[in-house]
Amino acid sequence: MGKTAELLPGTLDMLILKAVSLTPLHGYGVLLRIQQISGDALEIPQGSLYPALYRLEHQDLIVAEWRQTENNRRAKYYTLTAAGRRRLREEAAGWNRLAVAIASALNTTPEEV
Amino acid sequence: MLNKLRSRLRVWASRREFEERMSEELRFHIQEFADDLIKRGVPKEEATRQARIEFGSLTSVKGDCREARGFHPLDELSRELRYAVRLLRKTPGFTATALATLAICLGANLAIFAVMDSILLRPLPFPDAGRLVTMFNSYPKAGVDRDGSSTTNYYERRGRIQAFSSLSMYAHGTAIAGEPGSTERRQITRVSPEFFTTLGLGPAFGRVFTEAETTYQTDNVAILTDLYWRQHFHADPRVIGRQVRLDGNPKTVVGVLPPTFRFLSSTAQIYLPFSSRLEDRMPSERHSGGNVKQIIARLKPGATLEQAQSQIDAQNNTLELSDREAKMMAEAGFRTLVVPLHADHVASVRPTLWLMQACALALLLIGAANLANLLLIRANGRSKEMAVRQALGANRMHVISEVIVEITVLTLAGGLLGLGLGAAGIRLLAKLGVDRLPLGSHIAFDSRLAAVTLIAAVVTGIALAAPMAWFNLRDHLRSRLQAESRGGTTGRAAQGLRHAFIVTQIALALALLTGAGLLGLSLERALAVSPGFRAEHVLAGQISLPGKNYPNVQAHLAFNETLMKGIRQLPGVSAAGVVTNVPLSGNSGKSAATVVGHVTRPGESPRGHYSYGVDGDYFAAMGFVLKEGRFLTAADSRGQDRACVVDDDFARYYWPGSSAVGQRLFEGGSAGKDSEAFTVVGVVGAVKQAGLTDEAAQGAVYYPYPARIDGNLFVVVRTSLTPESMELPIEKAVRRIDPELPVSDLQSMEARIAGSLMVRRSPALLAGIFSFIAVLLTAIGTYGVLSYAVTQRRREIGVRMALGATPKQIRNQFLGLALRLLAAGTLLGILGAWLASQAMRTVLFQVPAFPLATLAAAAAIIGAVSLVACMLPSYRAARISPMDVLAEQ
Repeated sequence: MGKTAELLPGTLDMLILKAVSLTPLHGYGVLLRIQQISGDALEIPQGSLYPALYRLEHQDLIVAEWRQTENNRRAKYYTLTAAGRRRLREEAAGWNRLAVAIASALNTTPEEV
Repeated sequence: MLNKLRSRLRVWASRREFEERMSEELRFHIQEFADDLIKRGVPKEEATRQARIEFGSLTSVKGDCREARGFHPLDELSRELRYAVRLLRKTPGFTATALATLAICLGANLAIFAVMDSILLRPLPFPDAGRLVTMFNSYPKAGVDRDGSSTTNYYERRGRIQAFSSLSMYAHGTAIAGEPGSTERRQITRVSPEFFTTLGLGPAFGRVFTEAETTYQTDNVAILTDLYWRQHFHADPRVIGRQVRLDGNPKTVVGVLPPTFRFLSSTAQIYLPFSSRLEDRMPSERHSGGNVKQIIARLKPGATLEQAQSQIDAQNNTLELSDREAKMMAEAGFRTLVVPLHADHVASVRPTLWLMQACALALLLIGAANLANLLLIRANGRSKEMAVRQALGANRMHVISEVIVEITVLTLAGGLLGLGLGAAGIRLLAKLGVDRLPLGSHIAFDSRLAAVTLIAAVVTGIALAAPMAWFNLRDHLRSRLQAESRGGTTGRAAQGLRHAFIVTQIALALALLTGAGLLGLSLERALAVSPGFRAEHVLAGQISLPGKNYPNVQAHLAFNETLMKGIRQLPGVSAAGVVTNVPLSGNSGKSAATVVGHVTRPGESPRGHYSYGVDGDYFAAMGFVLKEGRFLTAADSRGQDRACVVDDDFARYYWPGSSAVGQRLFEGGSAGKDSEAFTVVGVVGAVKQAGLTDEAAQGAVYYPYPARIDGNLFVVVRTSLTPESMELPIEKAVRRIDPELPVSDLQSMEARIAGSLMVRRSPALLAGIFSFIAVLLTAIGTYGVLSYAVTQRRREIGVRMALGATPKQIRNQFLGLALRLLAAGTLLGILGAWLASQAMRTVLFQVPAFPLATLAAAAAIIGAVSLVACMLPSYRAARISPMDVLAEQ
């Protein structure tokens, strides 16, 4: 297992929104998907996943429906709503701005001051 | 926003579905996780275990999810409520005991507090009622602590005392209302023009009295209360200008008071002007108060009682300079006292009410200690469950809030039951005569009291929950889990706490029981006091003769004579008489007498004596004891030789060691012409005028009727039949003489005695009930705790018996514990009882300063009851069979 990073506060919601934006997922699927798309670099604490999902559902950013899995089990699948998509866009943009700003700050050389 | 609300509603509506779905979703997660682990080669069982561990506490994740959906904390509370109710239903015995205890203790407090609240705490129903004061003349050295105010006082003071914005006078009285044949005596109040202004609450419509309406010729006006207006005028809005007939005179209605108008304890429904003659306002009448006329005043904003007092003092000092009675008044210790109106009105009942509230609170404390013990025992039974739940991730706040919710649910339910019990209690108190206390007729059970009770229930709950929460969380859960058997530190601390509660209970119950015993003893002593007359078979009723039809002495005497003749003809009557005031009538006004030849001793003050005018065979009818000489007869009221009778207190004071018969005295504070002197012809035994427990030997003079003529007189009848059976015949006899004359306050002298002891009997009875409950609770508490100790130590007892301890040793060990608790409780209780008896001094009568016998009796009762309560579990401990216990392992 490679190095894993602690999640920054507030990023879990964004990651969940991103994960379900690609394809409808159940809770466990969200967990796996985030690990997968982050290249196993992010470890999601399992205890906080479901409260986050319920919160997002409560905010109408995602909707859920019960479906059969390929193993023939019943699971709750989450899909992004229009509002969720908007939120994801905003948060991604905000995050990117922040990342660029921090990166440029950290790359500053003495000559540039 | 709307969506959010809808989501919330949806969730609420399908709460069970939500819970099931959530469980299913989380279960699915763990299954999938385990499947993945199995795919990676982890053995199946190990995989499930590992998946569970990695997932973490299901309980807390679920809690977080619920919170994320927005139903915390209300929803959490409802869950806890359901949990609490379920727990309480699982232990019906405990719950019933707890509810009964709480209902009784809170109900008792509610009932007493209802009385306290309406009598002592609620302000009088007037704007800024705290500024209302009253004042009265006091002559303490003459034995007259309180003598009301005189008309002169009123005219001299109004407008001249800077500290008052308004000052007025009133006098309660009675008048005969109605048309001939259907008259009744009604309470009325005569008031000066500023009366309603002083109170700050006047007629709802119409006007107040004017200055022009204060003479007997011009005072034919009346103000009605709302009640009288509704009952007699059918709430006619055009009532102003119509007439009411009082004492045979028509009075024009000028105003109607609002329904909220209530002046102190007055039951008057008609207000009349306070009229007086110019002579009544003269300086010579300054000290003729007599407790009928009272002054009230309103303090100006910013003015204090002390300022008012010093201004009154200053005015009195100035006026006394020119008063010819000044020297005598100074010797009598004359002073006018200014006091708050409300506090003064209820002063007589304040100590008793506080005492009763203290008793009720002690009962609540005992009940709470009992409950705390039961809860501690119950909590101990559940300590392992608590520890397991904490180990499984239940957070501490949850555990605490669960305990608080459970206990508060219990106390709140007890409080609700207590509301019902309290309401019944208020009715019981009314039966015990509370409505006859000052301001006692308006005791009501309202939302404010209900709120106070429920708040008290919640506070009790939180107070009880605090030690339980501490107990549940106190030490580290691991040690609790390991503490398989009794003996951990928590066990010992909890045991100490239980024992402390038992000791407190015993002490409080002892103090309460002693208090009740002292009240009972006082009552017994009071009952043993002879009233000075033979009260059996005597009936007395009051008649007031209106001045219009009975203008002079001759009219009064003629009326008396006809009345006596009529009554004597009734079957079963052995004697009948007339007197201006009967013993225990509630009026104990005194006046001066001047004894011929009496030289004032240095430091001696003039004395007030009970003074009566008598006609007919009053002494025989009332059953007086003749000590010397003869009684007065009807002939003395009609002849020329001025005879009088004194009581032996009076005789002993003025003529110690010699006979009073033949001595002479003047009625009033100064000697008059020689021909006006009265000659003592007899000495009778002293009677209790003010009350059975009044121990002052005030002295009394009985004059012939004309010397003390009064519009109000009592007719007194001795009969061989039951006094009550004479009521109707006497009323008829009076109506035959004058159809307009009703007889009021008609009751037997025994009933008057019983009524005068109401203030002792009712508190003693209440305290008795309270202490009975207290003793019962203490017994239950002691039994419960000791029983529990025995159960808890079964294994230890079994082992010790297997090792050779005898049943006697085991029994003695528990009895020893019980005795130690009892001894500690008794010692503390004696201290408490002594303090209580000191605090109660004012309401006790002829009780020794250190009431050893009562204390000992109370301690014996508590001791016996608690010993029996301890005996049962102790003997049970001794019967434990070691084989059974060891087999249980």
